[in-house]
Amino acid sequence: MYDYNNLYIQTYDMSQKGLAEAYIPMQRYVSSYPPEQGLKRGTIFPELDKPYMEEKVRGY
Amino acid sequence: MDANQVALIKKIMELDFACIDLNLYLDTHPDDQKALRDYNYYSQQSKSLKAQYEQLYGPLMSFGETPSQCNRFRWVDDPWPWEIQY
Amino acid sequence: MWVYEKKLEYPANVCKPDVKMAKFLIAQYGGPDGELAAALRYQTQRYTMPTGQAKGTLTDISTEEFAHLEIIATMVFKLLKGVPVEELKREGLGEQYTEHDRALFYSDTTGMLWTAAYIQAKGDVIADLHEDMAAEEKARATYEHLINLTDDPCVKDTLRFLREREIVHFQRFGETLDLVQEHLRSKKIF
Repeated sequence: MYDYNNLYIQTYDMSQKGLAEAYIPMQRYVSSYPPEQGLKRGTIFPELDKPYMEEKVRGY
Repeated sequence: MDANQVALIKKIMELDFACIDLNLYLDTHPDDQKALRDYNYYSQQSKSLKAQYEQLYGPLMSFGETPSQCNRFRWVDDPWPWEIQY
Repeated sequence: MWVYEKKLEYPANVCKPDVKMAKFLIAQYGGPDGELAAALRYQTQRYTMPTGQAKGTLTDISTEEFAHLEIIATMVFKLLKGVPVEELKREGLGEQYTEHDRALFYSDTTGMLWTAAYIQAKGDVIADLHEDMAAEEKARATYEHLINLTDDPCVKDTLRFLREREIVHFQRFGETLDLVQEHLRSKKIF
């Protein structure tokens, strides 16, 4: 069993990470969209909600 | 499919999607109490809406997950999910 | 085992039939970075995952990918509904029609058939999870190309949903990699 709060701090301490190892920070659940909005956005987690700006809008 | 049926299935989709997203989060954070609470809450809500839906429109699941509620195996009735205008 | 639910994960609509877009969408049905490849990749890799946590993540993401396969199929099916053969021929699906009529089949946009060579199961958790993370990014990129290729707001809406799922899956595989590395360190495997 992991202590997720502790792990969170640990994983942000880069000295714990070896070289030649990929690293993604652990998400921490703070808040969520209501279900209606979650389905529309494709995730209930605001911090993972990263919409795409299409080519027509941003230019090529 | 009438408007009421579409509205109800969409409501179920919303709740089930919250469960899916929380499920994947719990897969990597199995001891997160807030996520567990929310997962259980949405799961309960979805369950009661599904019971309501199945009573009106027939089963959402097969293989014994939903007992047949009338004298016909309504599982085989159209429309199937890809035939519906949502 | 798996049990089918008679509903989609996302309410996938199309605003009007569009043969060209149906042809492009097939990339995510039977293409190298498509949903079939994703579902089968995670499915077969899960058996050699070292922790319950990793087995769970692969099982659940694989299961969700099957729901995405169904969403792509739904859009293709709806985009081709009621389209006469002359139009299929004119818009580049004549070859597809020859063998399959309006049926769905596992190929990429050029008609290249799906192959297991698209995926890997290395039996090495680090190698497999890196492949999975790369697969999610490649699928995200393909969804962005598809979003740029359509003017249909209904199709675009569903593609945006599917693209966002790739981002969430990437995060979960990344977290799994982190937990697995932790696990291996604790066992002093490396």
